[in-house]
Amino acid sequence: MTRQRKIKVLLAQFALETHSRGILTVAGMLRDAGMEVVLIGNALPEQIIGTAVQESADVIGISTYCGGELALSEDLLKTAEKAGIKEQTIFLLGGIFPPEDAPKLKEMGFSGTFLSATKEEIVACIESALASKKG
Amino acid sequence: MSDEKTTKEILKEKFKPGEHIPLYNPEALKKIEQEFDKWKNTVVREEDRKNWKVMPHTILGSEIPRELTYTPLSNSDFDYERDLGFSGSEPFTRGIHSNMYRGRVFTIRQLYGAGSPEYVNKRIKMLLEHGATGTNWALDLATVQMFDSDEPEAKGQVATVGCPFDCVEDMETVCKDIPIDKISASIVTHYPRNTAIVFPMYLIMAEHRGVPWDKLPGSVQNDFIMESLVRSASEYIPPKDDFRIQCDNIEFIRKNVPQWNYVTLNGYNLREWGTSGVTEMAVAVANAIEILKEMIRRGHDVDWVATRLAFFWAPANDFFEEVARIRAVRRLWYRIMKYRFEAKNPRSMWMRCHVQTSGVSLTREEPMNNIVRAAYHALAAILGGVQSLHVDSYDEAYSVPSEEASIISLRTQQIIEAETQVTQVVDPLGGSFYVEALTNDLEERILDEVDEIERRGGIVETVTSGWLHKKVASHIEREQKMIANGEIKVVGRNYFRDPNLKMPKVWVHQYDDSIREQMRQKLARIKQQRDNEKASSTLSALKEACKRGDNVMDYTLECARADVTEGEMRRAFTEAFGTWKPPLFA
Repeated sequence: MTRQRKIKVLLAQFALETHSRGILTVAGMLRDAGMEVVLIGNALPEQIIGTAVQESADVIGISTYCGGELALSEDLLKTAEKAGIKEQTIFLLGGIFPPEDAPKLKEMGFSGTFLSATKEEIVACIESALASKKG
Repeated sequence: MSDEKTTKEILKEKFKPGEHIPLYNPEALKKIEQEFDKWKNTVVREEDRKNWKVMPHTILGSEIPRELTYTPLSNSDFDYERDLGFSGSEPFTRGIHSNMYRGRVFTIRQLYGAGSPEYVNKRIKMLLEHGATGTNWALDLATVQMFDSDEPEAKGQVATVGCPFDCVEDMETVCKDIPIDKISASIVTHYPRNTAIVFPMYLIMAEHRGVPWDKLPGSVQNDFIMESLVRSASEYIPPKDDFRIQCDNIEFIRKNVPQWNYVTLNGYNLREWGTSGVTEMAVAVANAIEILKEMIRRGHDVDWVATRLAFFWAPANDFFEEVARIRAVRRLWYRIMKYRFEAKNPRSMWMRCHVQTSGVSLTREEPMNNIVRAAYHALAAILGGVQSLHVDSYDEAYSVPSEEASIISLRTQQIIEAETQVTQVVDPLGGSFYVEALTNDLEERILDEVDEIERRGGIVETVTSGWLHKKVASHIEREQKMIANGEIKVVGRNYFRDPNLKMPKVWVHQYDDSIREQMRQKLARIKQQRDNEKASSTLSALKEACKRGDNVMDYTLECARADVTEGEMRRAFTEAFGTWKPPLFA
């Protein structure tokens, strides 16, 4: 795939998440795969979407370990819709969450949800989601 | 940095043990050397000779090369009195108590707390009925990050991974019918600010129940490394102010709650975030040194402070490294206390520790294997002579533990204690050529990393500058690559992975949003019932105390007494100190 610019990924955690081993690991993987990573750490849904707009991020990745991801993801996607970026942005979520929430998150608008994944799996997910958005 | 000497330099100058009596006589060593060379060059296969030293690669490991075998030559200078001594005696390598587990078995202290205060109270009572000998409470994310349950940030996070504490009433609910003067409570208030806010709620609860503070056994964490380095958060205060609150808490608790352990230097979460076992210990020791220097600066005697310092470690996969590491840091801590700080009370020289087995070393794949892993981690810790233990549950990679999983963790400890007989003999691996060589090596490496931190300006400076944050980030990145390319073998994940692997159905803790609503209603009621003028004047007094440099806990105690909530106190701290941007995030 040839692109004008690098794929830009915004990585964030919900406001109170304390764990960052996952997000730092994924940041390393994606940089390694040639993507541009903007790591903002903890933020409210409005702050995440605000930064995504400012940065023109192609992808928003959320790292979550402590539950509550359904309620918070719903807020995130609603905010994205209001800001008019929901359609063109790829949403990913990874970490620890009940596996039965994965289909609910997909339905909400997440292109990928990961309980554990290799670099290749995450990159493939981003590339195919971007391709289908374009198509 | 100042021209102040580093700990390593001071130890080099002052460490003068008595007469040096090497255990192995030179004649014997010479003979062993000759035979060893002969054996190595004739009996040992060429391939093994070439690969005499191998590098162990494990998750969170220290990458210390290991030889094919160890002999007296590996530690030819071995001096029994200087290096080991007897348990309960200097240099405490073999343990801090003479009889170790025969006198008192390690405390079985399983961490728990997901749910409402009422539910956590029941769950703690269940663990006590099953033989737990101490309690260990996890706080929920909102409480850890010092937000009230009704703040917007707390959405989705109330009571998910711990218990919510907004005010004194929650503390009363959790402790209902628990004999707080007999059962020691470990309250996992990770951060100094969190400790300054939540611990006074415990004290006021005790006051309401008529239990004098000097009867309360337990511990808080109170570690600025956790708040300024390890955690991720949306809001930080400058590390130097955080370090000061850590010291304020220590000072207050030491004065007013004499049986309470006021700081648990938490290597655990740092290591689990992503460092080697050496860095884990070096950072905790460097923080402990800085605390003692500050307490001396405040005019306290080093023995007044040091007798209740405790450490918290993360035993992981490399079995002998884990055993040796605990022995090594015990000896190093003794040397630091005796020779750098010139402590007089032997208790000040004790490296007392709690451990929790490593969670990051567990896998999501084939989770039952984690029962085996955690048992090895626990065994290493016990062979190392720890005081207190939490065994991680097999479902760690899925959720907070189910009741079944937490009982298996409890049983793991009981099996080690009652069936394996390993607790009958003190320091059973002492004297092993291998373990002693590794212990020496690890002690040196830990001290070298303490030295590096001090040369870079000390623990507060290496946090503020982001040097430690970057060290961890690069460890995580490198380790991930080694797992991806198979250099680090993880059974069931990248080593003998089942091609038809299916993730089993594991019970996962379900988030109950009604708890947040219940907490919100309680907060609304409290704010209506309390004397709001009193609440706001205690908050103003807290802010002033922060700016003036007074001990903050004297003031948070008054806040708690006036039913001020956790979030209100957090904001007072932030307003007084301002915020700090951590170095890893844009």
